[in-house]
Amino acid sequence: MRKNKNKLLVTAAASLAFTALAGAASAETLIVASPQVPEGFDGDALKTHTQNVVVQTYENLVVYGKKVVDGRTVNDPATVEPHLAESWKVSADGKTWVFKLREGIKSPYGNELTADDVEWSWAKSFAQKRTGNFIARVSNVVGVKAVSKYEVEFTLSAPSSIFLKALTLYVPGIYDSTEVKKHATSDDPWALKWMQSNTAGFGAYHLETLRPDDQAIYVANKNYFGGKLHFDRVIYKEVPSEASRVTLLKTGQVHLIDRPSIQKVVDLQKDSNVKVDRASGRSIASARMNPKCKPFDDVRVRQAFNYAVDKNALNTAVFAGQADIAKSIVPPIVDGYNPNHYPYDYNPAKAKALLAEAGYPNGISEPIKLLYADAFWHQEPIAIQVADMLKKVGVTVQPTRVTTSEMRAKGSPKEMSMCFFTWEDGPIVLDPVYTMYLISHSKGVSNRAAYNNPRVDELIDMSREELDAGKRLAMMDEAQKLWVLDAPWILTTYPATFEAMNPKLNGWVHYPDEHERWRELKMN
Amino acid sequence: MNFSQFIFRRTLMVIPLLVGVVFLTFMLVRVGGLDPVGLLAGPTATAEEFDMIREELGLDQPLWKQFLIYAGNVVQGDLGESWLSNRPVLEDISARSLISLELLFWGIGLGTIIGVPLGLRAAFNPNGRFDQATRIMSLLGFSIPTYWLGLVMLFVFFYLLRWAPPGMGRISLMVSPPDFVTGSYLIDSLLSANWQAAHSALTHLILPVVCLAIVSAAPIIKQTRAIALEVIASDSVRYARACGLKTKTVRDIVFRNSATPIITFVGTEITGLVGTMSLIEYVFAWGGLGQYGLNAIVRGDFTAVQGYVLTLALFSVLVFLVVDIIIAIIEPRSELN
Repeated sequence: MRKNKNKLLVTAAASLAFTALAGAASAETLIVASPQVPEGFDGDALKTHTQNVVVQTYENLVVYGKKVVDGRTVNDPATVEPHLAESWKVSADGKTWVFKLREGIKSPYGNELTADDVEWSWAKSFAQKRTGNFIARVSNVVGVKAVSKYEVEFTLSAPSSIFLKALTLYVPGIYDSTEVKKHATSDDPWALKWMQSNTAGFGAYHLETLRPDDQAIYVANKNYFGGKLHFDRVIYKEVPSEASRVTLLKTGQVHLIDRPSIQKVVDLQKDSNVKVDRASGRSIASARMNPKCKPFDDVRVRQAFNYAVDKNALNTAVFAGQADIAKSIVPPIVDGYNPNHYPYDYNPAKAKALLAEAGYPNGISEPIKLLYADAFWHQEPIAIQVADMLKKVGVTVQPTRVTTSEMRAKGSPKEMSMCFFTWEDGPIVLDPVYTMYLISHSKGVSNRAAYNNPRVDELIDMSREELDAGKRLAMMDEAQKLWVLDAPWILTTYPATFEAMNPKLNGWVHYPDEHERWRELKMN
Repeated sequence: MNFSQFIFRRTLMVIPLLVGVVFLTFMLVRVGGLDPVGLLAGPTATAEEFDMIREELGLDQPLWKQFLIYAGNVVQGDLGESWLSNRPVLEDISARSLISLELLFWGIGLGTIIGVPLGLRAAFNPNGRFDQATRIMSLLGFSIPTYWLGLVMLFVFFYLLRWAPPGMGRISLMVSPPDFVTGSYLIDSLLSANWQAAHSALTHLILPVVCLAIVSAAPIIKQTRAIALEVIASDSVRYARACGLKTKTVRDIVFRNSATPIITFVGTEITGLVGTMSLIEYVFAWGGLGQYGLNAIVRGDFTAVQGYVLTLALFSVLVFLVVDIIIAIIEPRSELN
């Protein structure tokens, strides 16, 4: 009797597993397993996993063009194409841009996109003073106003080479302001409270239901202007354990899992039930040296450290050989990348000679702390590898753990007080000027280690206002060269981006924000 | 002393304890080196944005002032808002508590049903073959890391055998959950006669419940055995035996005398398992209080952590109160009787 009961239970469970499986395979629903359900849906106030989903709802005036490299479709950083806007005009001084919106674009609520929506959305970002405001600031935008129903004018404080590419971002997002205003109150004029669990964009998908810590369900915008969408529903399911996410993908329960770790990538690549797509890195993993601290105030020490690190061995040890060796502050995915100025191929003898020149003929025995946190999984292994390799040239390095928040705080422009630490940074706008302005300008928000070269600053500042692509790239080439010779970071690798998915899922394109666009995905 | 007096006295004793818990958690999360501002501000934040957020959260105020404001709110039943999700902590916690309670109830229930008889049986024949077997079982239960156990169960019963549903929460993605009545998907779907949902909820419960039962049964077996052995060695039982009472009668006496310490032990087990459960919830994407607390701790969501710890403290107090009441009822020597 007991045995029979067991059997019954087992069959029941098996049949259930089977139904779930059959369900997952249906063509219209995309199931994404993620470590977390988004904590917010406002691109101006990024919380965990907000970015993954705002890009599905808030599409912008322009998009990057596409090109095919090695049989794979990628965003082309050199071209920008119309999207919500169908055309634009620039004034002779480069300070006034007028965008003509495509007519007939509608939100899921049925409201048509007008210039007022764009004006309202930018006003929201200006008022919140967060991510959108930052984007406005780096692209010199000081005002946005509607000039007719379908025409919107951007005023810039100075010409900006970054501006047009910045308009490919999800932030400042363009909201259906007619809908959002219905939920605004005098205390909450931008309806931020409502936006904690609702969306109102003109993009492909919008939030239907949200169960915190469980799942978010998105449905297709039935009025979407960009053509038919393959998936009419997307379940964004929280599965906190990575091991569980991988198992779910392997068994076909989910179609896509959020950025797997490199160990899992190696495992998934061997599995025929999974397809792993790869995109060359956008960001740079590095160990940064603060020139305000001893011994990093001497450029020879910084160069010596670069020579002392065996980048290939590090790539194998930390990234399972799957990353690309970094040779410039401007990553390869960005226009104008030039690896040819890079002199630091692995050379411990040269490292020792440089250290001797800098007054350390016997190396540096007093331990230098190398800080790491867990904002990026590779911070710790890189710290350990770097310490090990520096030991071979007589330098004692102590990898030391700190919290991510502490690292962010100490690396903020106000402080920049860490002397030696591992980190990853990369541009979200595929532009060399944006990249360098962010991470190598003395006032860059992602500088974090007090790098300051007045000539580099000058080149960046000039390029920011230079609209001629050729001149701009030439200046950025000089800046890249100066930067690499100053050697403020031990450049290690550009970690690649991997997306693991069902083998039948197609259309994945890598974006600089590292998130897929559901509208581009198809099952076949 | 009557029953309500008893409860009242117990409740009064809890107040200083809770004050201590509120104070300690408040201080601990703040000196723990976590800085939620960095997380909230995001990678592009400028110094002004850092200050702005700090001010918004009230973190620019002196620590004692922050505590007084928080304590004042807690007294009024307001646990504050999560800094990350901006949702009221109390609301989040109450929704998730029921989810976790369901798992805890079945898990510890099964663990006790298995553990107590096994422990007793082992005690009646110490060092016998049965005792050896249960000793190995409980040793295994003790030493297996919970997290790993969950993963292995999923690997075997879902991935290899396909008997169990995937570890994706409490119900299949393709089944819509029943309307809220008790918070338990299983009970709620049974109440609304939604058989498909009940079936799905039941199958999703099995693996995590078994996991929790294994983890909880191990110490229960061991403790029950020890308690029963002590009772068996006591004068009263030896006297009963000497009088030539039937084995069954002696066993009844042993069971009766062991009941009080066993119940007390299961009570402490329940409060201890709440922590373990967060790992099981994590592996099975259960979405309960444990997962919530774990997330909050990892991300430095101070208000949520405080709310979580306070809830656990309250829960422990409640469990011990219930244990006291049960004992008072079954134990003739208690102060109540």
